[in-house]
Amino acid sequence: MVENRPILAFLTHLVLVLGIILVAFPVYIAVIAMTHTQQTLGFTTPLLPGNQLIPNLIDVLTRPSPGRPPFWLMLWNSTLMAVIIMVGKIVISIISAYAIVYFKFPFRLLAFWTIFITLMLPVEVRIIPTFEVVASLGMLNSYAGLTIPLIASATATFLFRQFFMTVPDELMEAARVDGAGPIKFFIDILLPLSRTNIAALCVILFIYGWVQYLWPVLVTTREEYFTLMMGVQQMAATAETDPMWNLIMTATVLALLPPVLIVIFMQRLFVKGLIETEK
Amino acid sequence: MATIEISGVKKVYPGNVTAIHNLDLSIGDGELVVLVGPSGCGKSTLLRMIAGLETITDGTVSIGGAIVNKKEPAERDIAMVFQNYALYPHMSVRGNLEYGLKNRGTPRPEIDARVTEAARILEIEPFLERKPRQLSGGQRQRVAMGRAIVRQPKAFLFDEPLSNLDAKLRGQMRIEIKRIQRSLKTTSVYVTHDQLEAMTLADRLVVMNAGRIEQVGKPVELYDNPASLFVAGFIGSPPMNIFNVETLRSLPGVTLPASLPQKADVVGVRPDAILLEKPEGESFALKGTVELIEPVGGESHVYLRAENIDDIVILVVQGRAPFSEGESITLHLPARALHPFDNSTGLRVA
Repeated sequence: MVENRPILAFLTHLVLVLGIILVAFPVYIAVIAMTHTQQTLGFTTPLLPGNQLIPNLIDVLTRPSPGRPPFWLMLWNSTLMAVIIMVGKIVISIISAYAIVYFKFPFRLLAFWTIFITLMLPVEVRIIPTFEVVASLGMLNSYAGLTIPLIASATATFLFRQFFMTVPDELMEAARVDGAGPIKFFIDILLPLSRTNIAALCVILFIYGWVQYLWPVLVTTREEYFTLMMGVQQMAATAETDPMWNLIMTATVLALLPPVLIVIFMQRLFVKGLIETEK
Repeated sequence: MATIEISGVKKVYPGNVTAIHNLDLSIGDGELVVLVGPSGCGKSTLLRMIAGLETITDGTVSIGGAIVNKKEPAERDIAMVFQNYALYPHMSVRGNLEYGLKNRGTPRPEIDARVTEAARILEIEPFLERKPRQLSGGQRQRVAMGRAIVRQPKAFLFDEPLSNLDAKLRGQMRIEIKRIQRSLKTTSVYVTHDQLEAMTLADRLVVMNAGRIEQVGKPVELYDNPASLFVAGFIGSPPMNIFNVETLRSLPGVTLPASLPQKADVVGVRPDAILLEKPEGESFALKGTVELIEPVGGESHVYLRAENIDDIVILVVQGRAPFSEGESITLHLPARALHPFDNSTGLRVA
């Protein structure tokens, strides 16, 4: 791998650069569109920044238009939903993995596979029965309805199970000799050791919750529960007027920011955790 | 400080695999008993049953006079040192030492006093605030010992604690363990597969094989008077030479001593009991060709192909061997050094 072949280097870099352009170009267009007026965007797709960034931002952040709830409310809803889903999934997964790895009970393997199978059925597949259940429980238009059905799959159980199985049994035995019961061992030993895994899952699951679109559209009809993803879509789907592309793109870019920030912030934790962890 | 009584203990794993057959053993107060045997002989299982990490199928284990069969490890008031140390990786050395005491609700000043004392004994004061991963193997081993010491338990249980160390450190830590155990006078059970470790550490040695006790006794007793062929082969390095009595009798010029019991069909001779010069008293001679000489410093191990005998004969010569490879030499086997065994039962015959 230490060969010095200029042509090969050029080709590989070319492929990489093309890939980046392919992925980043739409994002670039969106960012540029933030800075133009609706009039400009109606006729062309500008590639250079304009001077309307501040007015657009003020417009999106402060002036609610008909059919669109206030931006801050949607941001709050989206954040709350993503965080509840993230925390819920991690809590359920880590506890069920703990049970499966450290306790012997009848049908242990069956329990594991049942949990594992929930991975194969995403919300979209079971959406009609799920909606029926949520509706009959009276959870439409509530945070519970928004989040609980999405929490109800122990996505990360498998991951935690694999990790727990690499933790030496002697650690548990040493803790037993040291007088730590199952709950103490879990809290004092296993949770601190799982820090890195939890951090990684936080990122993945936060983004999973953040980008949910179909489910919130189904279970919410009242504007106070609208999420950002829904709000952006609603802005584009106005019947009477032309879509306000400048405002839509501004909202889109703003909606993109939290996941990006989370990834950037948590990445440091990842690396730190990876370097420090030792079983 | 306590005695440990094991009576009629049995361990049967699911699938009807019996790991321990009806075993009795009593360990005196302050005694260091070493369980030794090949892997799979049940020595670790027995230790883990004493610790409470393994359920007891039948029989009783009592520590300090109380039957502990149904008690959790923590309630048995024992401390265990594991082969891979099992230190809590995210806690500092101090945290590791304190954890067991904190769980027991020991008052803070006492915890501090005990940790300081243990750290002093083990010379780990400079590392108290470090994490286990920042320590070398030997230092981790000391911390694992410290975790046992701070608890001031009724008994220490060691599960091959030195196996992960290099040879030199193993020798040092062996002495250290013996020194600490002597000064604390805590009843200890020590499991190892290393017969040298077993010989040097033990007050009393328990040789196990296939879930049964082969022999119990002082290390030197076992070396001098092995009760079975298994013990004879397991204790001592290089291992004891075993000869078939029929073969020996058929050799020209070999007269076996009259004192040899009738039932003995094999005899064993320690490599260090074989002499190059005819000793006083009864003896017989074997001729052979030197195949290999291993100088190990103060002594040399000589591998010799004896005439008309299939097996290689091993002998230990003090200092340098006075002959070279390929040479023919005569060995003298004193009658008093012969260990007579019955090959069918594997037991010693008187």
